Amino acid sequence: MESENFTMSVVLRNRYGTLMRVTSLFSKRGYNINTLSVAPLAENNDYSRIILTSNGDKCVKEQIQRQLEKLVDVCEAKII
Amino acid sequence: MQISGAEIVIQTFLSHGIKDIFGYPGGCVLNIYDEIYKAGDRINHILTCHEQGAAHAADGYARATGKTGVVIATSGPGATNLVTGIATAYLDSTPLVAITGNVNSALIGKDSFQEVDISGITMPITKYNYIVKDVEELEETLCEAFRIARSGRKGPVLVDIPKDVQVASCEWHGSIPLPLFPLPEVSQSDIEEAVKLIKSAKRPFIYAGGGVVSAEAESALERFATLIDAPAGFSMMGLSAMDYRNPKKLGMTGMHGVYAASIAQSEADLIIGVGVRFSDRATGNIRKYTENVKIIHIDIDRAEIGKNVTVDIGIVGDIGETLTALSDTLQAENFSQHLPQWEERVKFLKAAQKRLFDDTADRERDILPTRIIQMLREYTEDDTPIATDVGQHQMWTAMNYDFAAHRTFITSGGLGTMGFGLGAAIGASVSRDGKRTVLVTGDGGFHMNLNELATAVTYKIPVVIVIMNNGVLGLVRQWQRQFYGERFSHTTLHRATDYVKLAEAFGAEGFTVQNETELKTAFDKAFNTDGPVVIDCHIDPDAKVLPMIPPGGSIEDLILR
Repeated sequence: MESENFTMSVVLRNRYGTLMRVTSLFSKRGYNINTLSVAPLAENNDYSRIILTSNGDKCVKEQIQRQLEKLVDVCEAKII
Repeated sequence: MQISGAEIVIQTFLSHGIKDIFGYPGGCVLNIYDEIYKAGDRINHILTCHEQGAAHAADGYARATGKTGVVIATSGPGATNLVTGIATAYLDSTPLVAITGNVNSALIGKDSFQEVDISGITMPITKYNYIVKDVEELEETLCEAFRIARSGRKGPVLVDIPKDVQVASCEWHGSIPLPLFPLPEVSQSDIEEAVKLIKSAKRPFIYAGGGVVSAEAESALERFATLIDAPAGFSMMGLSAMDYRNPKKLGMTGMHGVYAASIAQSEADLIIGVGVRFSDRATGNIRKYTENVKIIHIDIDRAEIGKNVTVDIGIVGDIGETLTALSDTLQAENFSQHLPQWEERVKFLKAAQKRLFDDTADRERDILPTRIIQMLREYTEDDTPIATDVGQHQMWTAMNYDFAAHRTFITSGGLGTMGFGLGAAIGASVSRDGKRTVLVTGDGGFHMNLNELATAVTYKIPVVIVIMNNGVLGLVRQWQRQFYGERFSHTTLHRATDYVKLAEAFGAEGFTVQNETELKTAFDKAFNTDGPVVIDCHIDPDAKVLPMIPPGGSIEDLILR
């Protein structure tokens, strides 16, 4: 399957270590993070949004999304 | 009512129905241990010899009952000693809550005495973890921890509590357990698609795993297997999910799968994976595994669908509910399946397996490992928990022991943790109010954590420890023989351990056996003794676990001799 670049939007609770949970998930499962930015949601500071870019085939893309959705602090993980 | 953080910990245990806990005290959990002392009439604390043993015991407790296991350790080395136990629980999805103490909040980050960042260390091997910085958050955090450990796909959660948080007081709100997170709803359209595939299958094969045990879906599985007339193979974690008396049960599949199950799986035109994750040990070469076969995958964890194998239909949901929905839909459509050709073929394979592998010859020296397991079964009850370490003895147990009741096989599957067994056997016994358990182990694995024999003696745990003693690290040696030109690098142990003396030194009883008559005598005594008994069985160092599919291989590469 062909590898493609894609962008994800991840909304998560602002808690101790959440950014590390997301990044360690990528390293633990052997996925790339090409770029990453994170900021609190304007409407609610208890939550943050991560915008990240990664690459991989369709299976990898699907796995990243599902593994992110499994994290307790993640409310939403979307490919945009 | 204002109470201390340490008391909140104990109160939360009690409100969650936790009666048995495993652990080891230390400087940063002194306050929690003080509360354990005061709650001595309500909390049964088992003191192990090492935190790793405590973690495995809590894990074994959870595996044997389905309840959440609880383990407590102090900061620093106490916490790091839990790591292997937590990872073992994580890989096999066991519900576990680990409580660690930490240094005072003000000392965190200053490389203080016995300080370690245990939440950082355990992040990749827990479902979730916490460091509680404010006593006001402690009660809610602990309740959440218990909820997360048990919700959906179960797993370990760690709560790290600095000492000052244990000392500080706040209001206790009398928490009751939080409701579990809702399970994903089974999609009826997925069910209908699956039903279509099942109806058209000529050689369906059920491949069931630990998810069935965890969901307690044994009877739903039995009904489903009968309805679609399919033989059932099992991953190691799923072996206790069906009674061996059920003719549909073929036994373990995978690298050391039994002959009939492995061949039948390779000939199937439809594999229905139920609560399995198609691990590399189970499938071998993925391309060949998925050739010419349709796959339906049922699991509670959405991320498992399509992770290791590409499937035709994935159904996410509770295993019991899904199997019941499948059976109901099939029955509503008046489906009744009878596949005489497939049944004949499976019968033939079973007979071939018996011919190829059953060896009941009595030996003067070196008892056959398979005979040890068969003889052991004559002494155990259907519901006796059987724990193992990892290696040849584990495979011989998985392949030859007739599992009848659910939650009776207590073994480290995913992580493959040598040294798991003794702690786990102790935990399993405690979970069943001190009932007899069995540990089948090897001389390699037993040496890793044999210190817990002292724990078994202290608490009079009736664990029958069967050591398959071949003087070598057998499974690694088998690989060296098969794939490394017989260069037995550091797998010959040269230990001079006298297991009888060792048992006696710990306050237990020990026997050495060389043949079946002696083994029978030892079993007769062991199964009538209250405390732990060690049986040192001498076996041939070159006995192999067979059949075997080499790593990355397929059924065509099956090694029979």
